Amino acid sequence: MNALRAVPARRVVRAVADAAVRWSDADFPPRVRLLDRIVERTGYTKPVVEYALDQLFGSLTVDSLEATIAGELGSLDVLDEFALRPGRPRARALPAGVVCVISSRTTIGVAIVPAIFALCAKCEVLVKDREDGLVRAFFSTLGQELNEFREVTRAQGWEGEGDAVDLGRFDVVVAFGSDATLGRIAAAMQGGARFIGYGSRASIGYVAREELRDLVQATAIAAGAARDLVLYETEGCLSLHALFVERGGLIDPTHFTALVAHEVERASIEFPPGKRDARASARITNARNLAAFRSAAGSGSVFSDARGSYLAVLDPPASEPPAFLPRALAIHAVDNPSDAIGYLVRHDVPVEAVALAGKREDLRTFATEIGAHRIARFGDLQRPPLGGNHGGRARIADFITWITDER
Amino acid sequence: MNYAEESHQLDAEIFTVIQRWHDYDRDLPEDAFNELALRVFEHQLHYNQPYARYCETQNVSLERMPEHWHEIPPVPSAAFKEAALTTFDPEQAALVFETSGTTAGHTGRHYMESTKLYDAALIAGFDRFMRPDHIRLRYLNLVPNPALNPHSSLGYMMGRVSERRGDGATAWYLHGETFNVDAFIGDLEAAVEYDRPVCIAATAFALVNVLDILHERRRYFALPTGSRVMETGGFKGRSRVVDRDDLYARTAERFGMTNCSIVGEYGMTELTSQYYDDVMVIGHDHSIARVRYKLAPPWLRARVVGSDGATLPDGTVGALVHVDLANRSSCVAILTEDLGVRFDDSLVLIGREHGAALRGCSLAAEDLIVR
Repeated sequence: MNALRAVPARRVVRAVADAAVRWSDADFPPRVRLLDRIVERTGYTKPVVEYALDQLFGSLTVDSLEATIAGELGSLDVLDEFALRPGRPRARALPAGVVCVISSRTTIGVAIVPAIFALCAKCEVLVKDREDGLVRAFFSTLGQELNEFREVTRAQGWEGEGDAVDLGRFDVVVAFGSDATLGRIAAAMQGGARFIGYGSRASIGYVAREELRDLVQATAIAAGAARDLVLYETEGCLSLHALFVERGGLIDPTHFTALVAHEVERASIEFPPGKRDARASARITNARNLAAFRSAAGSGSVFSDARGSYLAVLDPPASEPPAFLPRALAIHAVDNPSDAIGYLVRHDVPVEAVALAGKREDLRTFATEIGAHRIARFGDLQRPPLGGNHGGRARIADFITWITDER
Repeated sequence: MNYAEESHQLDAEIFTVIQRWHDYDRDLPEDAFNELALRVFEHQLHYNQPYARYCETQNVSLERMPEHWHEIPPVPSAAFKEAALTTFDPEQAALVFETSGTTAGHTGRHYMESTKLYDAALIAGFDRFMRPDHIRLRYLNLVPNPALNPHSSLGYMMGRVSERRGDGATAWYLHGETFNVDAFIGDLEAAVEYDRPVCIAATAFALVNVLDILHERRRYFALPTGSRVMETGGFKGRSRVVDRDDLYARTAERFGMTNCSIVGEYGMTELTSQYYDDVMVIGHDHSIARVRYKLAPPWLRARVVGSDGATLPDGTVGALVHVDLANRSSCVAILTEDLGVRFDDSLVLIGREHGAALRGCSLAAEDLIVR
């Protein structure tokens, strides 16, 4: 039995939140020390990394953690003792065992949220950390807040294949990656162990014609879309990769695309473009020139800047999948959500989240039909609430096992 | 001048450049290349409307002509899937080559007005870089048979080479997706028995398959002196990708030849001319591993560009733009997604693998090796 099991859940939550508060401070020395290393690893610019850290740690509050846990488990008390839950037998939530979180190359601190919830479930946690050592540093702060964390948290640097872990010894494995990678990991696990895989997904946006009534409203939507596009260089599953704009609004799709392009340039002042490798640059250059070629032939429009720092293409051929390139956005003029569904199905795009501008009920239906896990406002795609269900999964429920007392 | 006169004159000039280099080793000075490239480009602005409209979007037109070939707007190679990029009626094309891969169901087509420039360019380049020893070879082709695949530029190329430089016993082993391995092995055995040097022309993917089969059958050959391999084509669209150094090492071992008898050819359906590894020309110590530089004939030049389209300095990796004067009847400047780096007059090809992938909640532990 690990040392954390004797600590009341509220104390665990408080310690996590206190550590997060310290990390939310841009002047917190460990954060300052790590900043350049995260920039170096990800290639993102400092403002983007600072934003990511603010978002990540700012969301880990006592209230949000407790609300999320209580929402999923019925109450916090079940983590400490047998407790009543409304309409259900008295039960206790026991830790599922030893958890391994395999971190990812891009998203900053992606392993921290599952690790935190595994700790709230009082599991022992090993994180395969990335080169910047962010998880290791945060675990160190956790240990300062609550001594028991030192015994149950471990972060190992990721050294590649020579550092492969023996996944057979874990009770729960959380991993982020392609379907092939997740398949390999799952195959290496012991029977009975839980596997929580977050596969490759993309996010999209949809703008209803009713929202394009005036320039102010359209500009606000465009500004949100621009933010969703530029953050994290369009690399995350919450990045905006395709945008569907209904025809028939007072602001037409061409005008709206121009607004988006303008807002991308504005957003790039706050979040300057990161480092781009030669391959990405080559692809962007080709995509931009091909779009220009099509535009010259009367098909679609293209917006970019002299440096090729972004690319907004209106009406690329429907036969073409999203570009999946840094700061590249395909904007499709559509008549209704069915057109967007047709496109997404055709290209087999797994959708994580959809940014919606519009209040019509068919838009919610659209989000459901495309299999999205989240509906958000434009500008909030990259700010998922802690209590949300990333990947359509529970936050803490996967890290516990139940015992009920039905007497 | 009307179109016929102008195109005829340009073709004649380009043909002369090719012949002079081939027959007399006469180079094409930079200023002469520049002048001819700009005239070919101007001709294309007159007669290739899709290209001219595209150039307008790049602020280049007959009224705003560039002064240097670096400023000729390169058309992205994928544009060949979008329109017939020709200075003439494509119905009248003497040659039509199709791209092997398709993007979203579209096949790219490169139409050529005559065979003369294509044939002259390919023979001149092949002679210089593949057979500087002038040996007449037996061509064993693991590339599409032009009789069955008339729109394969690679098939056409090897057909012409075999016809003009072969020993009359040319063989083709690919029939659609099938590979006649027994015939290939039989021909290798015959070449060894009768001491006939061969040239095996193969795509990288076909070569890998051949090596796998020979490995399964435990067959090794000591091919006659002068034998060589021309590898081309990469692994576009294939699930299996093999490191090129490893591929060449396995090839050399399997066929009993030195590493410098294996020449990588780099061409594109959208180009008329080709690049080749420098190994046969330089003739280096094959025990020393070295970078393979790609060499081009003087009417084909490359520049390496960044995301703003500007030429990057030597030694910097970027996208390749090819300017091929022999593309007179299509587009003289082509932008590719291939990565390369220039050093003086040579080029190092970094990679040809295309297409961005969906990246999700991250690029994850793709390098994870599970024990």
